[in-house]
Amino acid sequence: MKRNALVFVVLFIAILAMLASGKYLDRVRKHGPIKLVGNVQGVPAPDFTLPSLDGSKVKLSDFRGKAVLLNFWATWCPPCKVEMPWFEDLQKQYGKDGLVVLGVAMDDSEPATIAKFASELGVNYPVLLGTDKVSDDYGDVQYLPTTFYIGRDGTIVDKMTGLLDRKEIEASVKKALNTDYRPASALQNEAKAEAKAVAVNKVVAMDATR
Amino acid sequence: MRQASALALAAVLLAGFAVAQTFGDKPPVAMAPVGSVQVRAGASKDVTLDFRIGAEFHINSHTPKSPLLIPTVLRLTVPAQVIVADVKYPAGQDVSFAFSPDEKLSVYSGDFSIDAVLKTPANVPAGTYPVTGELRFQACDHSACYPPRAIPVQFQVRW
Repeated sequence: MKRNALVFVVLFIAILAMLASGKYLDRVRKHGPIKLVGNVQGVPAPDFTLPSLDGSKVKLSDFRGKAVLLNFWATWCPPCKVEMPWFEDLQKQYGKDGLVVLGVAMDDSEPATIAKFASELGVNYPVLLGTDKVSDDYGDVQYLPTTFYIGRDGTIVDKMTGLLDRKEIEASVKKALNTDYRPASALQNEAKAEAKAVAVNKVVAMDATR
Repeated sequence: MRQASALALAAVLLAGFAVAQTFGDKPPVAMAPVGSVQVRAGASKDVTLDFRIGAEFHINSHTPKSPLLIPTVLRLTVPAQVIVADVKYPAGQDVSFAFSPDEKLSVYSGDFSIDAVLKTPANVPAGTYPVTGELRFQACDHSACYPPRAIPVQFQVRW
């Protein structure tokens, strides 16, 4: 009797596990695995290329060396409306220091409607048209607004969900601006210089032993 | 015996986890079961559908104050023997939220009901007929919003 119950429980788990894995595999097949889950600080921001409202294509990695505020929003999200003018102010205030604000509209509305909405809020920073793929890459962004603060080296320094106090937003912007970035060419030059210094030291050491 | 209990407990926890992974978060709106509705042939009948919105959430009413906001809409699919004569939505509550104290939104929160007015022709043979559909809504809490969702609606009419 107990054995039958155990067999039933094991079968039940197996069926649920199959359902879960089926759902997961279906999602992976459609969009690839969800990349950002849990604590995302220090994780490289997934790269993307998205169309902008002005018709251009915007690639995240083109902003390497800059701090990026990446804000997911929608026209049907009243709390999102509160933050957007703040982002515009922050872009003006910290743009010269290397801040880039990018809005990602997770919206089914027409681009013209999104553009009108953004314009009425005084938004001049690029607004990109989001996709399910980008949402999934960023951990299945469901809760709006969600904002990622990306350092100059392309890693995420903060993720904020829901409407926050402007001071908290500014603190995250400063955190992203206070990151280092050295382009690959600079790193190669540093490595060469280091190798050269090691070689010179070896020669000096050999001369000293003669 | 103890091992079997531990195994069963682990199984239940794993099953719960698997279900959560498979079906995601619970929707913030739930519908009370309706069961079977008795209708008199040739007459109309108001069928009240009761919904409950989770604490801390609100959804837009059927007539939000901005065309950009997504209204709550009930869609019903009925058999040929049934006509949906009308859908009566409750008036929204005009509420200001902390995220925008100067703006009032027309929303539903807590419990609300929608009446579907169904009609049947007089000459329809007696029977039980399924009515299916969905309630589409878009929910927010005090600081953020969720994408539009739909929950299934189903009941039976008989005469």
